Amino acid sequence: MNQQNGLLTIAEASTLIESGHFMSIAGDETALRKLPPGHWIGGTIPYFIGSEGGVTTKDRVYVQLIECFAQPPRLSLRATDELPAICHEAPDNGYTLLIIPAFSEAHRLFAENAPNYEEMYMKPLVGWIAGVHLAELGTRKPLVVLGETLEFSDDKAAVIDVALPDHRYAQVEIVNPFRAAPTPAIRFPTSGFSAGACEIDGQARNFAEYLVSHQLDSRLPLVADYCGALINVSIRHIDLENGQVDFYAPVFAGTEYRMASPLTDYVRTFAAALPGALYQPEFACNCVLNFLYSELEGKQAGAIGGPMTFGEIGYQLLNQTMALLTIGE
Amino acid sequence: MKPEDWLHKALGINPPWQISHLIENLSTSRLDVWVSLERPKSGWFFSQRPSAPEHTLPVWRHLNIGNFKCHIHANPVEAGRHNNLGWIGDDGQPFTRAMVQLIGAHFLAGLSIQAVCPLLDIPAADVWKLKHNLDNGRTSLNAPAPLGDSPAVDHIIPEASHAIWQQLLSGEFNLDIRVLSLKLLMTKLREQVLRIQDSEVHTLKAHELQRYFVRHAHLLAHELEQINRI
Repeated sequence: MNQQNGLLTIAEASTLIESGHFMSIAGDETALRKLPPGHWIGGTIPYFIGSEGGVTTKDRVYVQLIECFAQPPRLSLRATDELPAICHEAPDNGYTLLIIPAFSEAHRLFAENAPNYEEMYMKPLVGWIAGVHLAELGTRKPLVVLGETLEFSDDKAAVIDVALPDHRYAQVEIVNPFRAAPTPAIRFPTSGFSAGACEIDGQARNFAEYLVSHQLDSRLPLVADYCGALINVSIRHIDLENGQVDFYAPVFAGTEYRMASPLTDYVRTFAAALPGALYQPEFACNCVLNFLYSELEGKQAGAIGGPMTFGEIGYQLLNQTMALLTIGE
Repeated sequence: MKPEDWLHKALGINPPWQISHLIENLSTSRLDVWVSLERPKSGWFFSQRPSAPEHTLPVWRHLNIGNFKCHIHANPVEAGRHNNLGWIGDDGQPFTRAMVQLIGAHFLAGLSIQAVCPLLDIPAADVWKLKHNLDNGRTSLNAPAPLGDSPAVDHIIPEASHAIWQQLLSGEFNLDIRVLSLKLLMTKLREQVLRIQDSEVHTLKAHELQRYFVRHAHLLAHELEQINRI
């Protein structure tokens, strides 16, 4: 991975853009709007893991260069109704990187339907959900940007399709520091971003009431086992009065969940969960909830940096997980 | 291109094979075509004089020519050494390999038997026979590999009709999976197979799983080693 990747000043990022590089960029809206046009896509977020550790900044942007490709990557903004074809239209050998604004219809529909997209899992798909500073929730909108036109959007997905040389291949991996606790199995009768009714070890319960009565830590996600892949669903809000729990990703009916075990040392647990020896991915992102709950601001947080986002994409929407893209030979 | 050459091309019949006899029935929209290595007699094409083809040969329903249902008569012994021919069928099968491929493509696109039959103007009974043969591994939806062109990796991936794929989807066999995309795909397909009772759909899902393995074989040495040990 190029040493020019990472948390850069506007001037440094602008130089890279004006040099003709292809890249994805994460940064606060005010920072992104200062960048020149070029071969980049971007999304808003002010939280990062940089070389100095956890950082919240609106003055710098996180750049991840795309340097391995067989032909110039294709950059675009995709409307919501174009997302189901995103894998079908992806390069036959390569990968697709996409950024979707949080709380948009594109976000909701991708989260609910991505597993059933045509060619899903056949072609590598990675990315993240753009957000805002948490103090600005409700006053500013998450945005994505197509650098070639400097068009900003709150309801489209910014996409880069990268075709790789024949002797290279892309691989998406995730690093989930959480493990399912030995607690009752939880199932939901319907899929969605919120839930009321559930089954706890086969017994009908209200999920909000269950969480509160058992004093379960809502900072811990639900964890589901997908043939060995541990997939989180993070809890956003518990409304005990109305018996509803909102999530940062949808729960799926028919899937068995368990509460996650607490993390005692996020950084050490994360480092231990990394696959194999230390290596530099082509792309990486992590979750703002990990940034907050593990209090990573100002702390060293491992060698793999990137934006700390409102959701990660490793084929499908993920929570509290690192998503990585590597290029193999 | 001469009309007779065009007909050869349309039916996928290439040298040294040639159409030796042809009988058309306008009232039933049926075309019977005899294929052999023999040189055709001059003047047979569109000849008004009835030819004397051999009626004891096996017959397979082939790809349609316009509104005409095409049936191929051929000697499987003569063609047997050449297992990449799409215009001939397997022993006991109702369709040529090319027609099986076409029917399979419709299934893989999500069409039911009830939808495929009128589209291709083929008898449902024959399609059910094909389906039975697929389920029992007596024929395959895979395209026949060209002679002398079998990638090394393919021979360790069971054909799509092999029972192992459905056994993986049903959970009868489990793999230790290292690749994320396979973990997610397997989870999705297993949930679908559990929820949908239609065996035709199960076959399609098995084919989808096999296609994933063929596409990503370079990543799946660990998983394929387990499959080969089963």
